[in-house]
Amino acid sequence: MIPYQWTTAIIGFLIAGSILFLVRRDHMHGPYAVWWLASSAVVVLISLFPGFINLVAGRLGIAYPPILPVFVGMGLILIKMLTMDLERSRQELKLRRLTQRLAMLEATLEPVRNAEPDSKPGADTPEEKPVSAR
Amino acid sequence: MSDTVIVIPARNEAPALGGVLQEIRKISMQVIVVDDASSDETSHVARENGAEVLSLVIQLGAWGATQTGLRYALRQGAQTVITLDADGQHEPAHIVDLLRPLHEGTADVVIGSCPMRVSALRRLAWNYFRWLTRLRMDDLTSGFRAYNRRAMEILASREATLLDYQDVGVLMIMRAKGLRVSEVAVEIGLRRNGVSRVFHSWWVVMRYMIETTVLCLANVGGQTSLQKRDLEVEQPERTP
Repeated sequence: MIPYQWTTAIIGFLIAGSILFLVRRDHMHGPYAVWWLASSAVVVLISLFPGFINLVAGRLGIAYPPILPVFVGMGLILIKMLTMDLERSRQELKLRRLTQRLAMLEATLEPVRNAEPDSKPGADTPEEKPVSAR
Repeated sequence: MSDTVIVIPARNEAPALGGVLQEIRKISMQVIVVDDASSDETSHVARENGAEVLSLVIQLGAWGATQTGLRYALRQGAQTVITLDADGQHEPAHIVDLLRPLHEGTADVVIGSCPMRVSALRRLAWNYFRWLTRLRMDDLTSGFRAYNRRAMEILASREATLLDYQDVGVLMIMRAKGLRVSEVAVEIGLRRNGVSRVFHSWWVVMRYMIETTVLCLANVGGQTSLQKRDLEVEQPERTP
Protein backbone atom coordinates (compact mmCIF):
# COMPACT_ATOMS: atom_id res chain seq x y z
CA MET A 1 0.00 0.00 0.00
CA ILE A 2 1.39 3.48 -0.95
CA PRO A 3 1.65 6.20 1.73
CA TYR A 4 -1.42 8.47 1.83
CA GLN A 5 0.80 11.52 1.17
CA TRP A 6 1.37 10.19 -2.35
CA THR A 7 -2.36 10.08 -3.05
CA THR A 8 -2.94 13.61 -1.72
CA ALA A 9 0.14 14.92 -3.57
CA ILE A 10 -1.02 13.40 -6.89
CA ILE A 11 -4.50 14.92 -6.47
CA GLY A 12 -2.97 18.28 -5.49
CA PHE A 13 -0.61 18.34 -8.50
CA LEU A 14 -3.44 17.31 -10.85
CA ILE A 15 -5.62 20.21 -9.64
CA ALA A 16 -2.72 22.69 -9.75
CA GLY A 17 -1.67 21.44 -13.20
CA SER A 18 -5.18 21.83 -14.58
CA ILE A 19 -5.40 25.41 -13.27
CA LEU A 20 -1.97 26.30 -14.66
CA PHE A 21 -2.93 24.80 -18.02
CA LEU A 22 -6.11 26.93 -18.15
CA VAL A 23 -4.23 30.08 -17.16
CA ARG A 24 -1.45 29.47 -19.69
CA ARG A 25 -4.03 28.88 -22.44
CA ASP A 26 -5.59 32.30 -21.66
CA HIS A 27 -8.88 30.75 -20.63
CA MET A 28 -8.82 32.83 -17.49
CA HIS A 29 -8.61 36.58 -17.10
CA GLY A 30 -5.77 37.97 -14.90
CA PRO A 31 -7.48 38.69 -11.54
CA TYR A 32 -9.27 35.33 -11.57
CA ALA A 33 -6.02 33.54 -12.48
CA VAL A 34 -4.34 34.98 -9.35
CA TRP A 35 -7.07 33.50 -7.11
CA TRP A 36 -6.87 30.09 -8.76
CA LEU A 37 -3.07 29.98 -8.81
CA ALA A 38 -3.02 30.77 -5.09
CA SER A 39 -5.64 28.05 -4.51
CA SER A 40 -3.60 25.52 -6.48
CA ALA A 41 -0.45 26.41 -4.47
CA VAL A 42 -2.34 25.84 -1.20
CA VAL A 43 -3.71 22.51 -2.48
CA VAL A 44 -0.19 21.32 -3.40
CA LEU A 45 1.30 22.42 -0.07
CA ILE A 46 -1.43 20.76 1.98
CA SER A 47 -1.24 17.57 -0.08
CA LEU A 48 2.57 17.41 0.36
CA PHE A 49 2.49 18.21 4.07
CA PRO A 50 -0.85 16.91 5.42
CA GLY A 51 0.64 16.86 8.93
CA PHE A 52 0.45 20.67 8.87
CA ILE A 53 -3.33 20.39 9.20
CA ASN A 54 -2.99 18.33 12.38
CA LEU A 55 -0.57 20.89 13.79
CA VAL A 56 -2.84 23.89 13.12
CA ALA A 57 -5.98 22.04 14.24
CA GLY A 58 -4.27 21.08 17.49
CA ARG A 59 -3.28 24.70 18.14
CA LEU A 60 -6.84 25.86 17.44
CA GLY A 61 -8.35 23.25 19.75
CA ILE A 62 -10.12 21.35 16.96
CA ALA A 63 -10.70 17.75 18.07
CA TYR A 64 -11.12 16.31 14.57
CA PRO A 65 -8.39 17.87 12.32
CA PRO A 66 -9.70 16.74 8.87
CA ILE A 67 -12.72 19.02 9.34
CA LEU A 68 -10.47 22.11 9.36
CA PRO A 69 -9.66 22.17 5.59
CA VAL A 70 -13.29 21.27 4.82
CA PHE A 71 -14.53 24.19 6.95
CA VAL A 72 -11.99 26.66 5.56
CA GLY A 73 -12.64 25.44 2.01
CA MET A 74 -16.40 25.91 2.39
CA GLY A 75 -15.84 29.44 3.70
CA LEU A 76 -13.58 30.30 0.78
CA ILE A 77 -16.09 28.87 -1.72
CA LEU A 78 -18.80 31.07 -0.17
CA ILE A 79 -16.56 34.15 -0.46
CA LYS A 80 -15.68 33.25 -4.03
CA MET A 81 -19.34 32.85 -4.99
CA LEU A 82 -20.18 36.18 -3.38
CA THR A 83 -17.43 37.99 -5.27
CA MET A 84 -18.53 36.27 -8.49
CA ASP A 85 -22.08 37.60 -8.07
CA LEU A 86 -20.74 41.07 -7.26
CA GLU A 87 -18.65 40.94 -10.42
CA ARG A 88 -21.62 39.71 -12.45
CA SER A 89 -23.72 42.60 -11.15
CA ARG A 90 -20.99 45.07 -12.12
CA GLN A 91 -20.83 43.54 -15.58
CA GLU A 92 -24.63 43.62 -15.91
CA LEU A 93 -24.59 47.33 -15.08
CA LYS A 94 -21.89 47.97 -17.67
CA LEU A 95 -23.75 45.88 -20.26
CA ARG A 96 -27.00 47.76 -19.72
CA ARG A 97 -25.34 51.19 -19.87
CA LEU A 98 -23.45 50.13 -22.99
CA THR A 99 -26.60 48.81 -24.65
CA GLN A 100 -28.36 52.10 -23.91
CA ARG A 101 -25.41 54.10 -25.19
CA LEU A 102 -25.27 52.09 -28.39
CA ALA A 103 -28.96 52.74 -29.04
CA MET A 104 -28.44 56.48 -28.42
CA LEU A 105 -25.41 56.57 -30.68
CA GLU A 106 -27.26 54.80 -33.49
CA ALA A 107 -30.15 57.25 -33.20
CA THR A 108 -27.72 60.17 -33.33
CA LEU A 109 -26.05 58.76 -36.44
CA GLU A 110 -29.29 57.87 -38.19
CA PRO A 111 -29.67 61.23 -40.00
CA VAL A 112 -26.16 60.74 -41.41
CA ARG A 113 -26.95 57.17 -42.48
CA ASN A 114 -30.19 58.27 -44.09
CA ALA A 115 -28.36 60.97 -46.02
CA GLU A 116 -26.20 58.32 -47.69
CA PRO A 117 -27.39 57.18 -51.11
CA ASP A 118 -29.30 53.83 -51.23
CA SER A 119 -29.79 53.82 -47.44
CA LYS A 120 -32.92 52.48 -45.81
CA PRO A 121 -34.03 54.08 -42.49
CA GLY A 122 -33.39 51.80 -39.52
CA ALA A 123 -32.12 48.94 -41.65
CA ASP A 124 -30.32 46.32 -39.59
CA THR A 125 -27.26 44.52 -40.78
CA PRO A 126 -27.32 40.79 -39.89
CA GLU A 127 -24.96 41.22 -36.92
CA GLU A 128 -27.21 43.91 -35.45
CA LYS A 129 -30.21 41.64 -34.94
CA PRO A 130 -31.64 42.04 -31.44
CA VAL A 131 -31.07 39.37 -28.83
CA SER A 132 -32.96 38.57 -25.68
CA ALA A 133 -30.62 38.43 -22.71
CA ARG A 134 -32.95 38.86 -19.73
CA MET B 1 -35.32 68.79 -29.78
CA SER B 2 -38.39 70.33 -28.18
CA ASP B 3 -38.65 71.00 -24.45
CA THR B 4 -41.18 68.24 -23.81
CA VAL B 5 -40.64 64.78 -25.22
CA ILE B 6 -42.76 61.65 -25.05
CA VAL B 7 -40.85 58.42 -24.40
CA ILE B 8 -42.56 55.12 -25.21
CA PRO B 9 -40.83 51.85 -24.27
CA ALA B 10 -42.06 49.15 -26.64
CA ARG B 11 -41.42 45.45 -27.07
CA ASN B 12 -43.28 43.61 -29.81
CA GLU B 13 -46.01 46.23 -29.82
CA ALA B 14 -46.33 46.70 -33.58
CA PRO B 15 -50.12 46.03 -33.67
CA ALA B 16 -50.98 48.62 -31.00
CA LEU B 17 -48.20 51.17 -31.42
CA GLY B 18 -49.48 52.72 -34.67
CA GLY B 19 -52.78 53.71 -33.04
CA VAL B 20 -51.02 55.16 -30.01
CA LEU B 21 -48.70 57.27 -32.16
CA GLN B 22 -51.57 58.51 -34.30
CA GLU B 23 -53.35 59.66 -31.13
CA ILE B 24 -50.22 61.49 -30.00
CA ARG B 25 -49.87 63.20 -33.39
CA LYS B 26 -53.02 65.15 -32.56
CA ILE B 27 -51.17 66.97 -29.76
CA SER B 28 -48.01 67.47 -31.85
CA MET B 29 -45.26 66.43 -29.48
CA GLN B 30 -41.94 64.86 -30.27
CA VAL B 31 -41.98 61.12 -29.64
CA ILE B 32 -39.11 58.74 -28.93
CA VAL B 33 -39.96 55.04 -29.15
CA VAL B 34 -37.44 52.80 -27.41
CA ASP B 35 -37.62 49.44 -29.14
CA ASP B 36 -36.72 46.86 -26.49
CA ALA B 37 -35.17 44.26 -28.83
CA SER B 38 -38.47 43.51 -30.53
CA SER B 39 -38.74 40.65 -32.98
CA ASP B 40 -41.68 42.22 -34.83
CA GLU B 41 -42.10 45.44 -36.83
CA THR B 42 -42.20 47.78 -33.82
CA SER B 43 -39.33 49.98 -35.07
CA HIS B 44 -40.76 50.16 -38.56
CA VAL B 45 -44.25 51.09 -37.31
CA ALA B 46 -42.74 53.76 -35.04
CA ARG B 47 -40.75 55.35 -37.89
CA GLU B 48 -43.73 55.18 -40.24
CA ASN B 49 -45.69 57.19 -37.70
CA GLY B 50 -43.06 59.88 -37.32
CA ALA B 51 -41.37 58.78 -34.10
CA GLU B 52 -37.64 58.79 -33.46
CA VAL B 53 -36.52 55.24 -32.65
CA LEU B 54 -33.87 54.01 -30.23
CA SER B 55 -33.23 50.33 -30.88
CA LEU B 56 -31.85 48.26 -28.01
CA VAL B 57 -29.88 45.25 -29.20
CA ILE B 58 -30.41 43.47 -25.88
CA GLN B 59 -33.75 43.34 -24.08
CA LEU B 60 -33.54 45.59 -21.00
CA GLY B 61 -37.16 45.46 -19.87
CA ALA B 62 -39.64 48.32 -19.55
CA TRP B 63 -37.56 50.32 -17.08
CA GLY B 64 -34.28 49.81 -18.97
CA ALA B 65 -35.98 51.01 -22.14
CA THR B 66 -37.54 53.98 -20.34
CA GLN B 67 -34.18 54.93 -18.85
CA THR B 68 -32.65 54.84 -22.32
CA GLY B 69 -35.29 57.34 -23.44
CA LEU B 70 -34.58 59.54 -20.40
CA ARG B 71 -30.84 59.50 -21.06
CA TYR B 72 -31.34 60.36 -24.72
CA ALA B 73 -33.81 63.16 -23.95
CA LEU B 74 -31.33 64.61 -21.42
CA ARG B 75 -28.53 64.54 -23.96
CA GLN B 76 -30.75 66.31 -26.43
CA GLY B 77 -31.56 69.02 -23.89
CA ALA B 78 -35.20 68.19 -23.16
CA GLN B 79 -36.64 69.77 -20.00
CA THR B 80 -39.62 67.46 -19.50
CA VAL B 81 -40.33 63.86 -20.41
CA ILE B 82 -43.67 62.07 -20.50
CA THR B 83 -43.58 58.29 -20.48
CA LEU B 84 -46.48 56.14 -21.56
CA ASP B 85 -47.05 52.53 -22.50
CA ALA B 86 -47.10 51.35 -26.10
CA ASP B 87 -50.11 49.09 -25.61
CA GLY B 88 -52.68 51.87 -25.81
CA GLN B 89 -53.68 51.86 -22.14
CA HIS B 90 -52.80 55.50 -21.59
CA GLU B 91 -54.89 58.26 -23.08
CA PRO B 92 -52.62 60.96 -24.57
CA ALA B 93 -55.35 63.52 -23.87
CA HIS B 94 -54.35 63.33 -20.17
CA ILE B 95 -50.79 64.50 -20.89
CA VAL B 96 -51.78 68.11 -20.20
CA ASP B 97 -53.06 67.04 -16.75
CA LEU B 98 -49.69 65.43 -16.01
CA LEU B 99 -47.75 68.48 -17.16
CA ARG B 100 -49.73 70.99 -15.08
CA PRO B 101 -48.07 70.29 -11.66
CA LEU B 102 -44.63 70.36 -13.34
CA HIS B 103 -45.32 73.71 -14.97
CA GLU B 104 -46.72 75.10 -11.72
CA GLY B 105 -43.54 73.95 -9.97
CA THR B 106 -45.39 71.89 -7.36
CA ALA B 107 -43.90 68.52 -8.35
CA ASP B 108 -40.80 66.95 -9.93
CA VAL B 109 -42.60 63.78 -10.99
CA VAL B 110 -46.29 63.35 -11.78
CA ILE B 111 -47.85 59.92 -11.93
CA GLY B 112 -51.00 59.27 -13.93
CA SER B 113 -52.82 57.20 -11.36
CA CYS B 114 -55.68 54.76 -11.78
CA PRO B 115 -55.53 52.20 -8.94
CA MET B 116 -58.99 50.83 -9.74
CA ARG B 117 -57.78 49.33 -13.01
CA VAL B 118 -56.06 46.39 -11.34
CA SER B 119 -57.40 43.21 -9.76
CA ALA B 120 -58.06 42.83 -6.03
CA LEU B 121 -55.05 40.51 -5.80
CA ARG B 122 -52.70 43.09 -7.24
CA ARG B 123 -54.15 45.76 -4.96
CA LEU B 124 -53.33 43.43 -2.07
CA ALA B 125 -49.74 43.18 -3.33
CA TRP B 126 -49.56 46.98 -3.58
CA ASN B 127 -50.79 47.32 0.01
CA TYR B 128 -48.08 44.89 1.09
CA PHE B 129 -45.36 46.93 -0.67
CA ARG B 130 -46.79 50.20 0.68
CA TRP B 131 -46.60 48.75 4.19
CA LEU B 132 -43.04 47.54 3.58
CA THR B 133 -41.73 50.77 2.07
CA ARG B 134 -44.04 53.41 3.60
CA LEU B 135 -44.57 54.76 0.09
CA ARG B 136 -47.73 56.85 -0.07
CA MET B 137 -48.60 56.57 -3.76
CA ASP B 138 -51.96 55.09 -4.76
CA ASP B 139 -50.66 53.63 -8.02
CA LEU B 140 -47.26 51.94 -7.71
CA THR B 141 -46.89 50.59 -11.22
CA SER B 142 -48.30 53.19 -13.59
CA GLY B 143 -45.96 53.85 -16.50
CA PHE B 144 -47.86 57.04 -17.37
CA ARG B 145 -45.59 59.66 -15.79
CA ALA B 146 -44.14 63.10 -16.31
CA TYR B 147 -40.60 63.96 -15.18
CA ASN B 148 -38.90 67.33 -14.94
CA ARG B 149 -35.22 67.84 -15.70
CA ARG B 150 -34.05 67.16 -12.13
CA ALA B 151 -36.00 63.90 -11.95
CA MET B 152 -34.63 62.88 -15.36
CA GLU B 153 -31.05 63.46 -14.19
CA ILE B 154 -31.57 61.36 -11.08
CA LEU B 155 -33.32 58.51 -12.85
CA ALA B 156 -30.84 58.41 -15.72
CA SER B 157 -28.00 57.77 -13.27
CA ARG B 158 -26.13 54.48 -12.85
CA GLU B 159 -27.76 53.67 -9.54
CA ALA B 160 -31.14 53.40 -11.24
CA THR B 161 -29.80 51.15 -14.00
CA LEU B 162 -29.93 47.77 -12.28
CA LEU B 163 -33.64 48.07 -11.52
CA ASP B 164 -35.75 45.56 -13.41
CA TYR B 165 -39.14 47.22 -12.97
CA GLN B 166 -40.26 50.83 -13.07
CA ASP B 167 -42.33 50.66 -9.88
CA VAL B 168 -41.23 50.34 -6.24
CA GLY B 169 -37.47 50.59 -6.83
CA VAL B 170 -37.82 53.73 -8.94
CA LEU B 171 -40.27 55.29 -6.46
CA MET B 172 -37.85 54.60 -3.60
CA ILE B 173 -35.01 56.33 -5.45
CA MET B 174 -37.29 59.32 -6.05
CA ARG B 175 -38.09 59.49 -2.34
CA ALA B 176 -34.45 59.04 -1.31
CA LYS B 177 -33.42 61.93 -3.55
CA GLY B 178 -36.13 64.18 -2.21
CA LEU B 179 -38.10 64.44 -5.45
CA ARG B 180 -41.63 65.78 -5.06
CA VAL B 181 -44.00 63.18 -6.48
CA SER B 182 -47.66 63.87 -7.05
CA GLU B 183 -50.43 61.80 -8.54
CA VAL B 184 -53.11 62.85 -10.97
CA ALA B 185 -56.16 60.67 -11.47
CA VAL B 186 -56.43 59.51 -15.08
CA GLU B 187 -58.50 56.98 -16.96
CA ILE B 188 -56.51 53.96 -18.05
CA GLY B 189 -58.08 51.75 -20.67
CA LEU B 190 -57.70 48.11 -21.57
CA ARG B 191 -54.60 46.93 -23.37
CA ARG B 192 -55.07 46.77 -27.12
CA ASN B 193 -53.16 43.51 -27.07
CA GLY B 194 -54.77 41.67 -24.17
CA VAL B 195 -52.64 40.37 -21.31
CA SER B 196 -49.78 41.98 -19.36
CA ARG B 197 -46.38 41.30 -20.88
CA VAL B 198 -44.60 41.68 -17.55
CA PHE B 199 -46.82 39.40 -15.46
CA HIS B 200 -47.65 36.71 -17.97
CA SER B 201 -47.45 33.77 -15.56
CA TRP B 202 -47.76 32.98 -11.85
CA TRP B 203 -44.09 32.04 -11.76
CA VAL B 204 -43.14 35.53 -12.98
CA VAL B 205 -45.49 37.10 -10.43
CA MET B 206 -43.91 35.07 -7.62
CA ARG B 207 -40.40 36.02 -8.73
CA TYR B 208 -41.44 39.66 -8.93
CA MET B 209 -42.89 39.53 -5.39
CA ILE B 210 -39.73 37.96 -3.94
CA GLU B 211 -37.29 40.23 -5.81
CA THR B 212 -39.24 43.38 -4.95
CA THR B 213 -39.48 42.34 -1.29
CA VAL B 214 -35.69 41.88 -1.20
CA LEU B 215 -35.25 45.28 -2.87
CA CYS B 216 -37.55 46.90 -0.27
CA LEU B 217 -35.75 45.24 2.64
CA ALA B 218 -32.33 46.16 1.21
CA ASN B 219 -33.36 49.80 1.11
CA VAL B 220 -34.74 50.02 4.63
CA GLY B 221 -32.90 52.96 6.18
CA GLY B 222 -31.05 53.51 2.91
CA GLN B 223 -32.44 56.98 2.41
CA THR B 224 -29.37 58.78 3.77
CA SER B 225 -26.80 56.58 2.07
CA LEU B 226 -28.52 57.05 -1.26
CA GLN B 227 -28.49 60.82 -0.82
CA LYS B 228 -24.78 60.83 -0.08
CA ARG B 229 -23.81 59.18 -3.33
CA ASP B 230 -22.80 61.34 -6.23
CA LEU B 231 -24.83 61.22 -9.37
CA GLU B 232 -23.50 60.66 -12.81
CA VAL B 233 -25.44 63.27 -14.68
CA GLU B 234 -26.02 63.05 -18.41
CA GLN B 235 -24.71 66.15 -20.11
CA PRO B 236 -26.60 67.70 -23.00
CA GLU B 237 -24.94 66.82 -26.27
CA ARG B 238 -23.03 69.61 -27.95
CA THR B 239 -24.42 69.90 -31.43
CA PRO B 240 -21.84 70.71 -34.07
